[in-house]
Amino acid sequence: MSEQECEENIEGFRRIIYGFPGEKRYIIAIMHELSRCYRYLPRAALELTAEYVGVPFSQVYSMATFYRAFSLQPRGRVNFKVCDGTTCHIKGSNILLDEIYKNLGIGPGETTADREFSLETVNCIGACAIAPALLVNERVYPRVNAAALKEIIKEYRGGGDNDHHE
Amino acid sequence: MTTMNKSLIHLLLVCCGTGCVANGAREVYQALKDNLTSDDKAVLAATTSARATGCHGLCAQGPFVRILPEDITYCRVKAADIPEIVEKTLKQGEVVKRLLFRDRQKKALVQGQNDIPFYRRQTRVALRNVGLIDPSSLQDYLERGGYRALEKSLLDMRPEQVIEEIIKSGLRGRGGGGFPAGLKWKACAATPAQPRYIICNGDEGDPGAFMDESIMEGDPHSVLEGMIIAAYAVGASTGFIYVRDEYAQSVASLQKAIEEAENHGFLGENILGSGLDFDIEIVRGGGAFVCGEETALIASIEGHVGEPWDKYVFPSEKGLWGQPTIINNVETWANIPVIMERGASWFTSLGTEGSKGTKVFSLVGKVANTGLVEVPMGTTLREIIFDIGGGVPQGRKFKAVQTGGPSGGCIPAELLDLKLDFDSLSQAGSMMGSGGLIVMDDRTCMVEVARYYLSFLAGESCGKCVPCREGIKCLLEILTRICHGQGEIEDLELMEDIAETMQQASLCALGRTASNPVLSTLRYFREEYLEHIEGQRCPAGICRELSEFWIDPAICTGCGLCLPRCPVEGIKGEKKQAHRIESDKCICCGECIDSCSFQAIKVK
Amino acid sequence: MKLIIDGKAFNAYPGDSILDVARREGIAIPTLCYHEAFGGQGSCRLCTVEVTAGGRSRLVASCTYPVSEGIEVKTSTPAVEKIRRNIIMVLYKRASGSVLMQKLYREYGCSENSLGEKQEERCIVCRLCVLACEKMGTSAISTVMRGIDKRVGTPYDQAATACIGCAACAHICPTGAIEVLDSGNIRTIWNKNFNLINCERCGQPFATREEIDYVSRRSGIEDAELCFCEECRRKKLVGKMQGFSPC
Repeated sequence: MSEQECEENIEGFRRIIYGFPGEKRYIIAIMHELSRCYRYLPRAALELTAEYVGVPFSQVYSMATFYRAFSLQPRGRVNFKVCDGTTCHIKGSNILLDEIYKNLGIGPGETTADREFSLETVNCIGACAIAPALLVNERVYPRVNAAALKEIIKEYRGGGDNDHHE
Repeated sequence: MTTMNKSLIHLLLVCCGTGCVANGAREVYQALKDNLTSDDKAVLAATTSARATGCHGLCAQGPFVRILPEDITYCRVKAADIPEIVEKTLKQGEVVKRLLFRDRQKKALVQGQNDIPFYRRQTRVALRNVGLIDPSSLQDYLERGGYRALEKSLLDMRPEQVIEEIIKSGLRGRGGGGFPAGLKWKACAATPAQPRYIICNGDEGDPGAFMDESIMEGDPHSVLEGMIIAAYAVGASTGFIYVRDEYAQSVASLQKAIEEAENHGFLGENILGSGLDFDIEIVRGGGAFVCGEETALIASIEGHVGEPWDKYVFPSEKGLWGQPTIINNVETWANIPVIMERGASWFTSLGTEGSKGTKVFSLVGKVANTGLVEVPMGTTLREIIFDIGGGVPQGRKFKAVQTGGPSGGCIPAELLDLKLDFDSLSQAGSMMGSGGLIVMDDRTCMVEVARYYLSFLAGESCGKCVPCREGIKCLLEILTRICHGQGEIEDLELMEDIAETMQQASLCALGRTASNPVLSTLRYFREEYLEHIEGQRCPAGICRELSEFWIDPAICTGCGLCLPRCPVEGIKGEKKQAHRIESDKCICCGECIDSCSFQAIKVK
Repeated sequence: MKLIIDGKAFNAYPGDSILDVARREGIAIPTLCYHEAFGGQGSCRLCTVEVTAGGRSRLVASCTYPVSEGIEVKTSTPAVEKIRRNIIMVLYKRASGSVLMQKLYREYGCSENSLGEKQEERCIVCRLCVLACEKMGTSAISTVMRGIDKRVGTPYDQAATACIGCAACAHICPTGAIEVLDSGNIRTIWNKNFNLINCERCGQPFATREEIDYVSRRSGIEDAELCFCEECRRKKLVGKMQGFSPC
């Protein structure tokens, strides 16, 4: 988000942040809500959070970098989370990462130039019985192999959000 | 309403645990609802009820539709199968054979859930309701005896009697360390400060463990009930459930349960007229494994980074905001109501001398029946992996089982008859942890497994204390070197030396146990380390620089199955003639090995 | 209350840590992350000692372990020494650029080992700088990231609005890891430039405008009173107090 866009969004940030009590213990909850709305934590929103709950900005920033659920970089419209829990790992999660790189040219923590796709690895999503598992936005795909992955990417390309399941 | 329920002929339980949902269980449930309510089957709608339940456990075979009272369990059900189930089973009373569980050993079809070997040997205590009730229905929970223990505790017992009962039950915390729950409660009650807090640790972070998720999703009231009983016992007024960030469905399920409990007087002011006021709030984690450690979790609830502090004074005396705090994990809480209802002596009749009751294990990895298993403490690894889990698939050989997550260790085949409990696992150099059992076959490299855990911990340590932060970094570097064929023999001793300091001097349990994956593999699989260092080969064929695959021409039938699976077109050979691998192309991905039905592809 | 350290009995106050008592009594226990101003953090673990309490012995961090009646402390046992040596060994791998770490590495007799490439950083992530900044009330820096990537920095590694250029962080740093560049009347620290003010008395540049303003605002002391460097302030004070005997 550019400086200017942020400026326009300050109202949006306020709406989210002021919806919580102005206490330190709600910082993580505020960050979750900001992430849900903006797919990352915009700097101006973090500054506003710090001011609102009365905590130094550096500490809010420290938390944003400590907790893995949050990203300081904008994520893509479609966010791939490759589970790299033990079971998925021994069942070949690295093959999924290779395959995503081959198809989309992004590695973990990266987003495609068009902000369509982003990739991250997560530690065990509790779907070990159906490993290797892939999370696309909030949907879990079981036993994904290279061929299935190609299909999944195709599904989401060009605006497909695949939410007909919910 | 009760009479209506009794007039029902069929109850259909659709498993909507995470695994089954990923395999389309929601669509199955929707199809079922649609079919039941469509006009021409109006009769069915009145006599059949469908429930979306929590995890049935045998995730490998899901989605499940279980039909009661006949107890017909259909496996791997798709939405498209529903019309047939409705038509044949519900209307005509016929069983759809192709959807039944196939017992491979007996080569027979199995109809009832309790006849499936996976279930037959289980004792479900913590999971007593999971899979049977609709987690969003308080009514379902009450029908299964829910909140009776609360009533008994609050109305017939004094707080100290409740604590005494929990101490007598010998219940040890199911989250990792196995600290006696009753003693925590007692210490908390004995600390004069007010207010006091109750925390449920739902930050299940061990990769490979998902029992807490299944309880939060599938039977949330059991957790609430346990917490309310504790609140009464120690005089607490506020409770928090800290749920792992990744568990969105658990949050939803708990939220609904809290609302319902409030509406029915199980939470809020003057609970059941006893004078107890107690509220529960859900806190979503931020995605940090270390927050499973209780002091880090407390720091996180307070709105800090999740860094632990020295527990020379326990949280039961000085915890959340410096106040006395009881913190137990989900499975521990789910055990409380049953103990209070059926009594400590019933609970102690299960399990071993030092570890009473049952334990839920998540059985995953290279095992046929993956899923959640609850057995009495003291059940052997062999029973769980082979009798319940059906052994290692694809005819491969069992090599090790990893227990206790990143803090645990790898246990070799020689110890398969180990009776699982807190103490036996510690003695074997591993630990119970939250109960993950990850089965590994001969295609798993133990050095690489140790490296994997250390790389996991490198990102998950909070980074506060030196032995953990720098120790992990050093171990990880050495292990990575060994996996790349650049290890030296002195490395093994050096790792043991650093590992010992990490165990003795780290601040929290994460650091003190972080070297277990290295120490346990060095203890039981030292040969494999030596193979990597001196022999320059990875016997499992996992470490790419040290692996070479070849096809045994005496075994290969030339079926060609492996050809299309090879991503680099590195396999050559005519149909019906032995194939061969072009080693300069091969990237050792192992796809061909997994595809070969004859085990003709070998690791040099 | 009483406790025993290395065989000798000492008195302690409730709330004392073992290290508090040891420091008071002149017993040497090495530390890296400890400073009197902030109390124990329990993060470097170099102050590990062996404690026997209730018949049970364990290794604990002396800076955070609260004393209790009758405990017995051993500040130097083979196990303790080995832990300290290993802590220095692994920490040196990260911060071999620090003179202090080089010295400790030699002193503890860390053997040559195959720990591989050393990093030439100086920071040991002891966090004293963060605590000092917090104490100033500015909190311009914090730890960022976690695990083996944990480090100290300003938000987004950019010049922090909250930073007043006081360099308290650099003064407290035991390894000289924080760069403060004073060149003419410009100070550069944490990617931020500050104008330095000259001492009214000796004319030497000594503090940033921001620091003077900040201290004045917080303490209510007039700016003019603050415009002296430390040495000149001391001299001034001594001048004022002539005739009084120090207490």
